[in-house]
Amino acid sequence: MGIRSFLHRITAPPLSGERIDEPCKMVCIVNQSLKMGKGKIAAQVGHGAVMATMKAGMEKPINLEQWFTTGQKKVCLKGRDAEHLLELEQQAKAAGVLTTLVHDAGHTQIPSGSLTVLTLGPEIEATLEEITGELKLL
Amino acid sequence: MAMVSTVDEPSMVFIARHDLKMSAGKLAVQCSHAAVSCTLNARKTHARLVERWRNAGARKICLRADDLATLQRLAGQAQAAGLVTYLVKDAGHTEVPPGTVTVLGIGPAPRRAIDALVSELKPY
Repeated sequence: MGIRSFLHRITAPPLSGERIDEPCKMVCIVNQSLKMGKGKIAAQVGHGAVMATMKAGMEKPINLEQWFTTGQKKVCLKGRDAEHLLELEQQAKAAGVLTTLVHDAGHTQIPSGSLTVLTLGPEIEATLEEITGELKLL
Repeated sequence: MAMVSTVDEPSMVFIARHDLKMSAGKLAVQCSHAAVSCTLNARKTHARLVERWRNAGARKICLRADDLATLQRLAGQAQAAGLVTYLVKDAGHTEVPPGTVTVLGIGPAPRRAIDALVSELKPY
């Protein structure tokens, strides 16, 4: 998809009058078993945020629009390990939430291919609460 | 510039204020704001560079700066060099007062253009 159509998709008003009134957020769940440094985590969460934004532009433009309108809220939570992240991914998918997995290229700190972050959304806050409500803030 | 960028691995860099002593989660969220805003802005002005950057793994690095003045100086230098920049101002819901500048995002840009600006900074 070209740049123009992408920008059009994320800025054009929805066709069918579909809209969301509740605020949307993006949740980033970090694999705590990897013992990454702060800067490493920031870069991995950044990967997930950009990937999720692009994905939403194509698959859920209404969510993306509402997320931009409500301040691009992002929250960072602690996940136990890779299995825990995959478990949450399944729950999110079952609830129709957009999911993005970040695997590290392994240039620094951790083995190549490690699952570092699960990004959920942008999605209505209440929907995400049901999936991630138990998790602690990073 | 265009010739140089075709042979140079594109990168995005986040320069975060070390003096604010942000938590890991806070830092990650602030850097993500910069990542999304830089990417969307760059798609308007440097579309091909953004595509190459994403295809090559969307390299991102997080560095630390001592204070706000360093961020502002680097933002000016990066803009003068024609690079995409974004200064993140925190909404102030947690940890820091509203409007605090927390992170400077630069890029995606050719790696050597970024290195020329930030070579004296340490990884966060």
